[in-house]
Amino acid sequence: MTRLDRRAFVTRSAAVLGAAALGAGADEAIDGRGASRRAQLGPAALDEQGQRAALSISVPFTGAHQAGVLTPAQAQATLVALDAIAADRLTLQEALMALGTRANQLAAGDVNPLLEIDDPPADSGILGPTNAPDGLTVTVGFGASLFDGRFGLAAQRPLHLTRMPSFPTDDLDPAQTHGDVLVQIGANQRDTVVHALRELLRATRGALAVRWTIDGFKAAQRGLSPANSVRNLFAFRDGTANPDVADAALMDRLVWVRPGSGEPAWAGGGTYQVVRIIRQHVEFWDRVGLSEQQNMIGRVRDTGAPLGGTEEFDDPRYDLDPNGARIPLDAHIRLANPRTPATADQRILRRGFNYHRGVDAAGTLDQGLVFVAFNQNPGRQFAAIQTRLAVEPMIDYITPVGGGYFFVPPGVRGPNDWAGSGLLAA
Amino acid sequence: MPTSTVDRHRPGRRLLPVCAGLLSAVAGFFALTALGAGGAAGTARAPAAAPARALTPLQAYSQQAATREGLGNIAGARPVQELVPVAPAEFDRPIAESRAYAQARLRAMAKDVDRLIGALAAGSRSRSEQLWLTAYGTYLRLGGVYGEFGQLDTAIDGTPGGLARGTANPDFTGLHRIEFGLWTGRAPDGLLPAAVALAGNIRRLEKVVPTVAITPLAYATRAHEILEDAQRDFLSGADVPWSGEGVFATAAAVAATEEVLTTLRPLLDGRGSTIEQVDFGLTRLRAVLAEIRHAHGGGWPTLGQLSQLASERLDGALGFVLEELAGIPGELETQMPPTIPALPAPAGR
Repeated sequence: MTRLDRRAFVTRSAAVLGAAALGAGADEAIDGRGASRRAQLGPAALDEQGQRAALSISVPFTGAHQAGVLTPAQAQATLVALDAIAADRLTLQEALMALGTRANQLAAGDVNPLLEIDDPPADSGILGPTNAPDGLTVTVGFGASLFDGRFGLAAQRPLHLTRMPSFPTDDLDPAQTHGDVLVQIGANQRDTVVHALRELLRATRGALAVRWTIDGFKAAQRGLSPANSVRNLFAFRDGTANPDVADAALMDRLVWVRPGSGEPAWAGGGTYQVVRIIRQHVEFWDRVGLSEQQNMIGRVRDTGAPLGGTEEFDDPRYDLDPNGARIPLDAHIRLANPRTPATADQRILRRGFNYHRGVDAAGTLDQGLVFVAFNQNPGRQFAAIQTRLAVEPMIDYITPVGGGYFFVPPGVRGPNDWAGSGLLAA
Repeated sequence: MPTSTVDRHRPGRRLLPVCAGLLSAVAGFFALTALGAGGAAGTARAPAAAPARALTPLQAYSQQAATREGLGNIAGARPVQELVPVAPAEFDRPIAESRAYAQARLRAMAKDVDRLIGALAAGSRSRSEQLWLTAYGTYLRLGGVYGEFGQLDTAIDGTPGGLARGTANPDFTGLHRIEFGLWTGRAPDGLLPAAVALAGNIRRLEKVVPTVAITPLAYATRAHEILEDAQRDFLSGADVPWSGEGVFATAAAVAATEEVLTTLRPLLDGRGSTIEQVDFGLTRLRAVLAEIRHAHGGGWPTLGQLSQLASERLDGALGFVLEELAGIPGELETQMPPTIPALPAPAGR
């Protein structure tokens, strides 16, 4: 399928829409110069214009690291865990190549080729004759099971990659846990994600089979400023203490696997991805008094400020509250991140999504968090945090039911490179 | 839905605070407008000094949204506080009654388990299943105190969820180990060690119960959490994956809740209408359970045998009573909520 560079895509969109409506494309629609034009258009037209402009945003997919890790979380996501059913290593390699190169095309923006009329179309076409990039990222990771004996990869297993353990309050369902390959698809519109999933599965048919999948969404930004974290389905701001992704030195300490460091050569620039499908018992939660909710989390629900504080990003100053008079000692934020020098290298980069997927057998909503975290070493970081959280009072209101540990290989070098080439094509 | 009818006819207790809250919210908002606060969301174009009535509804909304997201409650309405704490000593008698009740239940359960051991030794699966159900139901009726048993509770009633290798883990023992064995075709006499260990743990618990520490808050919370657990763990099937006896377990949890409420009733008298709504809801829930039992010839259906309509009625009746029970701990607070100390301002601010 033909790749389309972003400038060409925007120009084409503009021609279709009419230059007067879209101006120079995405950039103008979101800066001040379009104000007078906006005033002439009604709100519905403006929404449409903004959405069309956003559709043309393409996230670069080449670089030292894969996209979808430090990339700000998009509004929509699907995670799909795949099992490798390929008969041999070459078939697996071809499938991962097809997966990666198709993902590159979709992330760049793509025009569907015209085939003979009696053939099935090359692309499902659900986004139309062209596939707008829409901020799409496709992030590929490998589970520990891929490094068993089947494909001769055992000697290449990343140093800290294990099967995700069952933590004491987990109730893991094998049908939504683990997997050989994890694909994390993110975009701003749901149809873009659904389309990408459909195309990527088509490209890998017969070699990779779906083990489980889950859809997630980000809460809209409703706070005072874009810096405010958005809310999870317990209504609290989530992600406040995330490390700063713009701090490259910090990312090198907390997220990226450093070349050397005992890891196989192909793994440098990669990261470990922890996925936890955490059911939140929302009806139960909604029947808990607000002060108890706030004490469980350690924050004020409306503002996100640590208890006793006024702003979301206030330092909770646990050193001044050794007995938990302000923030209980077993509050979530306190156990998760004690903010001590000893726990500084345990911090993780969270990039989770809310999920909603119907009701359970008791008629209660199956809602929760697709917890996603990236870290340099899940044993040193995620598992240390999770072990501390085993005693938090919030455990009554949540049940981790699935997920897994995955290794996200380093980034791709060009449109024909693909995630995992360093492992399989080496 | 009957639920909404009941809501509309709810006695006025809750209406008053709602009205008061609304009034103070409105008052708070007018105060804010006068001060020119809010507006950070970017839509309030009206000059700060403009009278409040000049704001469009959207502008008014935007100001309030900005205030609550950014400042919480400090500039707006204060939540209504209608709490009159209960003296902690008033819980002495309910908790003592509950301990005595639990001890009697455990004595009965030890006998249930002895009979279960006999049936397992005799190799009778159907009789063993029946006696397992009896023992499980007796344990669930402990209700008011079972949250406080810690490790012993895990040994008696634990599920394999958090264990490595799940059902194959040697720490998976107790009632659900036997349930797993019976309903997945394991030889009954192979379950004898688990049943003998269970009998020992029950007798151990019977000795511990008189001294187990229960705070007033924990006890009041049990009034709603027994049925919260039933919804989360029983009716969902999560805790009874092999036998599917979620309806039976829910009925036992209803009985346990009633036991707790009986002991708490003297404390709840004269403290608002929550208990009336709870009684209304429990009566309906009991009636739905009775209908289900009747429709299944006097026995409890498994979750899989429930019709969709019966499921909906049961889930709905349970959901309704849970909404009402959620008010009980608040009615029985023994202290005013402590004031949270302010976070010291950083140096140099």
